[in-house]
Amino acid sequence: MKKLLITMTVNDEQFDLMVRPNETLTETLRERLGLTGVKEGCAEGVCGACAVLMDQHPVRACLTLSMEADGTSITTIEGLASDGKLHHLQESFINHGAVQCGFCTPGMIMVSKALLDEKPSPTDDEIKEALSGNLCRCTGYKKILEAVRSTTQIDPKKGA
Amino acid sequence: MANPDYHLIGKSLPRIDSAPKVSGEALFTGDLNLPRMLVGKILRSPYTHALIKTIDISKAKALKGVHAVITGQDTAGEKWGVFKYTRDQQLLCVDKVRYVGDEVAAVAAVDEETADEALDLISVEYEELPGVFDCFSAIAPGAPVIHDSHPRNINVAVKIEVGDVEEAFKKCSIIREDTFAADEDSYFMMEPYAVVANYRSDGSIEIWMPNASPHTKAKALSNALRIPLTKVIARKITIGGAFGGRSDVFPAEFITCLLSIKSKRPVKVVYTREENSIATRMGHAMTTTIKTGVDKEGRVLARDIVSYLDGGAYSSTGPIATSVPFLCHEQTYRLENVRFHGYRIYTNKPVRGMIRIHGRSFACGIDTQLDMIAQELGIDPITIRLKNARRPGETTATGSYVSSCGLVECIEKTAAKSDFINKFNNKKPFHGIGIGINSVQTGFPLGIRGGSQALIKFHEDGGATVISGVVDNGQGNDNMLVQIAAEELGIPVEEIRLISADTEITPTDAGSYSMISTFGGGNAVKRAAADARRQIFEIASELLEADPEDLVAKDKKIFVRGAPHAGIPMEKIIRKSLLIGRPIMGTGSFSPEVDQRREWVSNPRGQLSQAFSFGATVAEVEVDPETGTVKAHNVTCAQDCGFALNPMVVEGQFQGGVAMGGQGGMLTEAHHWSQGHVLNPTMLEYKIPIIKDMPNIETIIVESIDPVGPYGAKEAGMSIAMSAAQAYANAIGNALGIYFNRFPLTPERIFDAIENRKSGIETAWDLEPARVIEFDK
Repeated sequence: MKKLLITMTVNDEQFDLMVRPNETLTETLRERLGLTGVKEGCAEGVCGACAVLMDQHPVRACLTLSMEADGTSITTIEGLASDGKLHHLQESFINHGAVQCGFCTPGMIMVSKALLDEKPSPTDDEIKEALSGNLCRCTGYKKILEAVRSTTQIDPKKGA
Repeated sequence: MANPDYHLIGKSLPRIDSAPKVSGEALFTGDLNLPRMLVGKILRSPYTHALIKTIDISKAKALKGVHAVITGQDTAGEKWGVFKYTRDQQLLCVDKVRYVGDEVAAVAAVDEETADEALDLISVEYEELPGVFDCFSAIAPGAPVIHDSHPRNINVAVKIEVGDVEEAFKKCSIIREDTFAADEDSYFMMEPYAVVANYRSDGSIEIWMPNASPHTKAKALSNALRIPLTKVIARKITIGGAFGGRSDVFPAEFITCLLSIKSKRPVKVVYTREENSIATRMGHAMTTTIKTGVDKEGRVLARDIVSYLDGGAYSSTGPIATSVPFLCHEQTYRLENVRFHGYRIYTNKPVRGMIRIHGRSFACGIDTQLDMIAQELGIDPITIRLKNARRPGETTATGSYVSSCGLVECIEKTAAKSDFINKFNNKKPFHGIGIGINSVQTGFPLGIRGGSQALIKFHEDGGATVISGVVDNGQGNDNMLVQIAAEELGIPVEEIRLISADTEITPTDAGSYSMISTFGGGNAVKRAAADARRQIFEIASELLEADPEDLVAKDKKIFVRGAPHAGIPMEKIIRKSLLIGRPIMGTGSFSPEVDQRREWVSNPRGQLSQAFSFGATVAEVEVDPETGTVKAHNVTCAQDCGFALNPMVVEGQFQGGVAMGGQGGMLTEAHHWSQGHVLNPTMLEYKIPIIKDMPNIETIIVESIDPVGPYGAKEAGMSIAMSAAQAYANAIGNALGIYFNRFPLTPERIFDAIENRKSGIETAWDLEPARVIEFDK
C-alpha cells in the first residue's frame, strides 16, 4: 500500500509522517508516537475512549483516518498538563473520585475540555449531552458529572 | 462515619492510582511495547459444534513475516478447569470445537496484516455436528452430547436441602410457585482483553494481562506450559475493569506464551471487542422456578427452588456459579426449611462465568415473588422484607454464622429516605417504586486458595514500600492497601510506594474475586504495618526512654502520646535500625476463618465466608405505556459495608453498581442469539448505560463494624449492584401493576406484558418451569 506524507502538530510538536491510506489516527498516535493515553475500547466509534481534539474539536481517533489529520493540530491527554502541572479538569477528576479503572478517563477528559473551551459554564444537561458518547462501566457517571461541573464553578474561564 | 481515632481511614482521600490515569501515563496491557515484539492472532471455530478432521498450517508457516504457528498438536491436549473435576476446556482444541469462537490455531507475525493473512492461510477441515442452544433442549433425551463424559449435558448439579421442606409447606397459609428467566449479560469492561508474553533465554516467561489474581494465573500457566511456577511471572499492569470477567484462566494466555516460546520473541495479543465478548466469559442465562410458602404474617416457612443455568461450552467456575445465587439468597433471608437444585447445563455457546449481578433471574424472582405474596396478604414490601431479613448473630441455612449484619438498617434507611411507604400507598399512574435486598460474601474457599500476605520495607528518608499480592481491577485496591499502611505507620500516603500483583516479587494472595480484597489483603497489610510499627516502637522506646505501649506514630514521627513536639522523625529510626543491625521489615498475613471442608457440590455446608455484606436499593421509575420505555428518576441505595475506609471510593462502587445492576442490568443488557451465534457482541448493539440514562442516586453507607474486617470493613458495592436489579424489576412492576418474570425488561417485553395483561396476582408470562432432573440409574 502506497504511503502518504502528512504533517500534523501533536501536543504542540510538529511531525512529518508517512502513513498508510487506511491508517487510523489511533494507530498513528499510539503506535508511532507512543501516545498510549489514547485508548481503543471498541474500534467502532461507540465508546469514546479514543477521543482527542483536532483543532480544538473532539474526534474519535478510531474513526479518523490519519490522512484527515494532515495539517491539523491534535491534542491528546498527554498534552493537557502544562509546566508539569495537571489541567484543572484532570485535578477535578482525581479529587472527585471520578476515576476508577481509568480506561475511559482520557476520552472523558478530552471531551469535557472541548465542551468547557466552547462553553465555560454548561448546565448539567449540556455536560451530559457532551459526554453521552463516552462510555464508562465503573462509575455510574455521577462522579464524572460532579468533576466536570465543579470546574465550571471554580473557574469560569476554561481551558486557557 | 469519621472515627476520631483514625487520621486517614474513613476519609475520602483521592486514590493513588488516579493521577497516572488522568495523565495518560498509566499503562494497560495493550499499551505495552517490547523490543522485537510480534503480533499474535487466534483462529477461532466458525461452527457451534464440529469435529476437527485436519488442520493444515504449511502455507501459513511459509508466509514471510510469520514466526510461529501453533495448533492443538502443540499442546498435548492440555485442559483448563477451575477445579480438578471440571477440567474440560482444551487450551487449543485438538479434536472438537464446541462454540463459535473456540480456539483452533494461532500465529505470531511481524505485524497485524501479516498475522491476519497467515490466519487466512490455515485450512481446517471440520465435520459439523448438531448443536444445542438452550438448557431445555440440551437436557432433553437424545440431544447432542457436547462432552462425552456428561450425559444430558449436565455439567454441574448442586443439591442443598435443609430442614423439612415438605412438612413446612403443610403449615403455610399461602403457597406460590413462579418461574423467572433472564438472558445472558456481559461485562463490557472498557478495556478489551489483551496478553503480552515474553519468554526469556533463562527459561522464564513474563506475562501481562488484565486479571483478578496474578498468582492463580501463574499457577495455571505453570501447569499447562510445564514451566516451574518460579519461572512463570505474572506482572503488574493497570486493569480496565473486571466485574467478574477476568477471574478465570483463558486459552489466550496459554496461547500467547506458547507463541512467545516458539518464536523466542515477545508476543502481544489484543482482542477485538467481539473476541472480548465471545472468547473470555459472559453471564449465564438462567431460569429459576421458586415455590414459596408463608404463614399469615408473611414469614417464609418453606422454599423450594430449581435453577437451570446455561453454562455454554465449558465448566469455567461452574460449581461456584451454580451455587452463588442461592448462597446470596440464604444470607439475605432467614430460611429454616429450604431446598435448592441447581443445574449448570452445557450448550454450544460461549463460556459463562461469574458476573457482578450473577443470577438476575434468581434474585429478582425471589424479590418479585415476595411482593406478590405481600399483595396477597395485604402488607407492603418493606414489612414483608423486615419480617424475613437476616439479623446479626444468626446462621444461614447451610451453616454460615453471620457476625455483623446491618440489613435491617439498610432496609429502614432506604425506605425512609425514599419515602417508600407513602409513595407505594399513593401511587401516581405509571410511576412505580420497588425495593430489592441482597447479600454477598467477602471471599470463600475454593479448595485452591490461601490467604494474603504482605511485606513492608522502609527507605532511609522514612518512606516505606508496601508489597502485596492483591490486584487492582479498577475498584481501588491499590489505594486501599496504601491508605491502611499510611494509617498504621503514621506516614503520609504520598511517601508510601506500592508493589503489588507481581508474582516474582509479591507474596501470594487469594485474588480479587468474591469481594475478598479488603477483608483479606487489607487485613494482611494492616498486620504487616502493625508488625513494622512494633519494631519501630522498640527502637523509638530506647531513644525516647518510653514504654512502646505509650508511643504514637503520626506525621512521620514517633512520639509519646500527648507529646508530638518531642517526637523522633521516622528517618532517624530507620537509620538507627540499620546502624544497630535490626533493619525493619514488617510482615503480615491473613486467612479468613472458613470451613475448608466445605465443597461446592460434595459438601455444601459449613462457614462459607467470614463476613457478609448486605444491601438494599429502592428504585423509582416512570413507564411510558405507549412505548414500554422506562425512565428511572431516583435510586436510593444503602449498604452495610462494615466500615467505609474511604467513603468516596465506596460511593463510587455503589453508583457503578446501580448503573450496571439496575439501569443496564434490568433495562437493556442482554445478548441476542441465532443458532448459537451471538448477534450483539459489540458496544454498538449491546446497550450499556450512558450518562444521560442515569437517575439521581442517593447513597447511604451503613456501618456494622465487622469484628474481623480491617477497621470493621467488609466489601463495597456488590450487594448494591445485585439489589439494584431487584429494585428496578419491582419498581417497573409496581408502575404497571404487572409482576415481571423475564429479564431484562426491554421496551418490547414491557409493551408485550401491557398488551397481554393478566388478571389476578400472576407473573406476566407463562414460562416453562425448571424441574428437578431425574438421572437414569
